[in-house]
Amino acid sequence: MESRKTVLICDDEPALRELIRASVDDGYIFAEAGDGVMALDLAREVSPDVIILDLMLPRLSGLEVLARMNDDEELRKVPVIVITAWNETREDVLAAGAADFVTKPFEPDRLRQAVRAAAGT
Amino acid sequence: MSRPPASLQTRLIAASAVLALLVIGVFVALVLAVSAARTATNEEARSKNVTTSALQLEKLVLDLEAGVRGYVLTGNTSFLQPYTTAKQQLPEAKANFVDLTKGEPGQHERAQLITTSIDQYMNEYAKPVLLIAQESLGAAKDAAKNEGTFRIDQLQRDFRSFIQSEDVLAASHKESADTKSRHAIELGVAGLAGSTILILLFGLYLSRMIARPVREAADGASLLAAGDLSLRLSERGPGEVGELTRSFNSMAERLQGTRRELEEQNAQLRESERLKSDLVNTVSHELRTPLSGVLGFTKLLLTRDFDSETRRHYLGIIDAQARRLAELIDDFLDVRRIEEGRFERAQELVDMATLLREEAQLYSLQSPKHELAVEVGPKAIPVLGNPDRLRQVIGNLISNAIKYSPQGGLVQISAEAENGSVRVEVRDEGMGIPLTQQHQIFTKFFRGDAAASGITGTGLGLAVSRDIVESHGGRIGFTSAEGEGTTFFVELPGANGGSEEQGQGPDQS
Repeated sequence: MESRKTVLICDDEPALRELIRASVDDGYIFAEAGDGVMALDLAREVSPDVIILDLMLPRLSGLEVLARMNDDEELRKVPVIVITAWNETREDVLAAGAADFVTKPFEPDRLRQAVRAAAGT
Repeated sequence: MSRPPASLQTRLIAASAVLALLVIGVFVALVLAVSAARTATNEEARSKNVTTSALQLEKLVLDLEAGVRGYVLTGNTSFLQPYTTAKQQLPEAKANFVDLTKGEPGQHERAQLITTSIDQYMNEYAKPVLLIAQESLGAAKDAAKNEGTFRIDQLQRDFRSFIQSEDVLAASHKESADTKSRHAIELGVAGLAGSTILILLFGLYLSRMIARPVREAADGASLLAAGDLSLRLSERGPGEVGELTRSFNSMAERLQGTRRELEEQNAQLRESERLKSDLVNTVSHELRTPLSGVLGFTKLLLTRDFDSETRRHYLGIIDAQARRLAELIDDFLDVRRIEEGRFERAQELVDMATLLREEAQLYSLQSPKHELAVEVGPKAIPVLGNPDRLRQVIGNLISNAIKYSPQGGLVQISAEAENGSVRVEVRDEGMGIPLTQQHQIFTKFFRGDAAASGITGTGLGLAVSRDIVESHGGRIGFTSAEGEGTTFFVELPGANGGSEEQGQGPDQS
């Protein structure tokens, strides 16, 4: 019997975290971070299977979070789906090690498929 | 008594005139000296002629005597030949001799005496002796021996004396001629040297006083044209040259001032451009976030099934996000109004005490972490103005106090009327405003570190608030210490309950 996958949601807007949760659904365990520092702390703590990361984060920007995760042996393996209002950073984001890229406003089904693909479910 | 410095033109004309007069003077002196030298030379030549004519006359006299004596001694008439010849030539030679001495009174007198003596010799001796000789050669011989010798000796002495005098005169004339020609040469050389030196000095003066400043001005103009506006010329130089350098400097000064102004304006424009470009990013992010909520939840509700409680909950989120969108659009529209300079100028009596209480109550519902304390007395605090706009200002200050103290805490809101004006204060215990950003916080779209700190907003609230306060004849300001909190204050002119009818009745339109 396969254990439930954990998804870490990093977004400063509570309403959007709830939207992401509702869109992805599928019975994952969710962890939520409101800023970049918290995102890194939680990622180390809960060892998520997928991370959903908004680039506009307080305290530590999403790109900075990505860079630090790449420096971490464990976190480097975790697939990251980036959500941002700016689609022109797509190349930067993929080059920085993101697994997938979703622009705001996003289609709930598109995000659910991206998470399924990343989690391997 | 001070006179203005002579103009350059005057100076040049004066200097040229002085130089011309000097050259003319030198020339006149030279001409005078040369003509004096020539006169002296002429005198010398005349002296020689006088001497020559004296010697000729003396020879004639000696010929006369030789003829007389030869005849008397021999009785042979052939010996009379010299006498006869000399007697014929004598009148012309005498006249010529006397005539030549006319310029010198002393010599002229002597010459006349000599000719008189010659006449006497002829009349009183030579002619009588020849008459006597025709009678008796012996008697004539005696007379010739005594009288003739004596008279001739006398005449010869007179000639000798005359010639000596003439020699002296000639020598003095020669010396005078030498002196005068030497003077002429000296004067000529000195005048030439003096004129040359003066012309050189004049050229030097022109170069120093005119050419050099003009050269400097020309070089300066080139540099100026090349863009070096800090260049200044030394304001020396006579008349027009001084004027030129002064005008040049004031022109450079004005150009520099204009460029500085343009650069400042340019910097302001660039800053405003940058802020506008920031706004595009801000609008993009600020609008997309609530829009994502609205669209996302709407899509979920349309495509998936939820129980009625969840549906209601999602609809509530959609409602809140849509309201936020509306607020953002209102803010942007306010900015448009600021930029176009139009605000509704409704004049009503507004009780700030009531307004503060209402706004505090509204915002206290939004943030359970903050305690909002309103400190106003029981009495009304009236001001004259647009109630919606004043409400917007107070709401903005309270909203900022909450947003910029994310850890929560006390927000004190107070108002009091004193000396005819109303002072409202909103004090928080939040993060404060860094000193380096304090001068910018009323700038449109300026948000400081708010975006990085995750604080929402458009950077427009304070700019809009200041415009509203100032359009009410008031002022807005703050005191802040980073890490300790911020106190914003608004001062508005107070309105007495009964003073509103003084030409400022309520505007209901």
